[in-house]
Amino acid sequence: MTDIVSPPSDRTTRSSKVGRKLAAGWNRIGEQTRFYFLTLAAIPDAAINYRSEVLRLIAQMGLGAGALAAVGGTVVIVGFMTVTTGAVVAAQGYTQFQSVGVEAFTGFASAFFIPRLIVPGTAQVTLTATVGAGATAQMGAMRINEEVDALEVIGIRSVAYLAATRVLAGTIVVIPLYAVALMMGFLAARVGTTVVYGQASGVYDHYFNTFLSTSDLVWSFVQTISMIVVVMLICTYYGFTASGGPAGVGEAVGRAVRASMVVGALVLVAVTLAVYGQSGNFRLAG
Amino acid sequence: METGQAISPLTSSTVSGLTWARPIAKPLRGLGSFIGMSLDVLVGIFTTKLAWQEYLAQSWFVARVSLLPAVLMMIPYALINTFIFNILLGEFGAADFSGAGAAFFNVNQIGPLVTVLVTAGASATAMCADLGARTIREELDAQRVMGINPIQSLVIPRVLAATTVSVALMGVVVLVGMVASFFFCTYFLHVSAGAFVAGMTVVTGLGDVVVSLVKAFLFGLGAGLIACYKGISVGGGPAGVGNAVNETVVFAFMVLFTINIIVTAVGVQFTLK
Repeated sequence: MTDIVSPPSDRTTRSSKVGRKLAAGWNRIGEQTRFYFLTLAAIPDAAINYRSEVLRLIAQMGLGAGALAAVGGTVVIVGFMTVTTGAVVAAQGYTQFQSVGVEAFTGFASAFFIPRLIVPGTAQVTLTATVGAGATAQMGAMRINEEVDALEVIGIRSVAYLAATRVLAGTIVVIPLYAVALMMGFLAARVGTTVVYGQASGVYDHYFNTFLSTSDLVWSFVQTISMIVVVMLICTYYGFTASGGPAGVGEAVGRAVRASMVVGALVLVAVTLAVYGQSGNFRLAG
Repeated sequence: METGQAISPLTSSTVSGLTWARPIAKPLRGLGSFIGMSLDVLVGIFTTKLAWQEYLAQSWFVARVSLLPAVLMMIPYALINTFIFNILLGEFGAADFSGAGAAFFNVNQIGPLVTVLVTAGASATAMCADLGARTIREELDAQRVMGINPIQSLVIPRVLAATTVSVALMGVVVLVGMVASFFFCTYFLHVSAGAFVAGMTVVTGLGDVVVSLVKAFLFGLGAGLIACYKGISVGGGPAGVGNAVNETVVFAFMVLFTINIIVTAVGVQFTLK
């Protein structure tokens, strides 16, 4: 009598476990896609009905909150990070060029690599860390404290009010931040090369101005904007769906940072190949 | 002003000076206690018994969390870099040197950069979230009550694990980057495979690899210390844990990028002949 229901064999349990895992992963992809489209569709709603919330978030994202505001907020952090990466052009580029006797080209390296590679890359990780992860932390805490449910109960559209406003504010705030990043990157490379390594500033400026192309700057701006939209979407999703108490918020922030850095790198390479893939947009002979 | 007078009989000028200095004093106090914890850890590594099991478990945890992001991030960065540099080489008519360019960028800058992103963005966040959860559940206080020093039992193994895994990741990242660059150059940019391999060691040598490994060691140490400090000083409920992880990423990025530029500037003095 006892063996009417045979215990499931090892193989069936394993295959059902794999099947359940696959189904969960598949569902998660669908859920994320649905959230992203809902958020993007809610952006006009957020811009019209929750304008004051957008303005508040812009101010908060630009300056940062808590301990981040104490070190000068997002502006200073972005500026600092691009200084360190822009200075790499001087530290590595100048000495490497010098070893083959063409250190005059450091200005060229700065004009070529900083807008194409260094500033979009640095801006991506910095904005993910400050603006993106900050949004996840805030929204995750709201979710755990059941504030999101409270918003729904009092008739506020939570996706529009929380997620769409953050995507919109992030996109607006990145415009001045990008300008700061680019200027600090160029400044660090120039100061590093001319003051620290002692190159004549006329030589540097000549090669820098010759090879700096306006369209490169515009494209690198487009790269950064497209990337921040994707990063904000991912970060708001992980914040919106945080669960599991205080520890869950921390986990959600970690997961959001990992996911958005990987996806951000993919967006970067996709836009680069789309922009420079055909022609390279570069002519040595002017 | 009143609170200042209540604590100690200070003159009014000092007290007003203190209220003015309070916003500065808070981050300074944070910095001070971070340095205090770091010293505790550095001394503790040599004076206390290493918690081997925790160290191995944490190493496995950190490696598991950061391996996939490392590979997924290195491939796009290696491709973008090889691609941009090849535009330049193609213009000079020196596309055969793309192997030299790929090795130079992957070993000297992109490899360390991706290691920074992974140790700060993946390992440190996971570590801070885990430790922050323990702090908020008052597990650390419970350990102290039982006479166990959390620095010895939790922090030191984690810092060591982050350092070990960071150095190992550096190797993986450079390998993945070189393989990705190789296939990208030979199959998409039509560089001959032999020329690519022959060019790899033209400007990049053992010295560059050693400098990169030193960088990775310092990255892991820095990120591990910051993650653990933020993790054990968590307070204030769900928002506190979220903010702690967020601050971990930001501070780790800032410190690691600074280490990168300093070690680069010092390292090139040794690697260039």
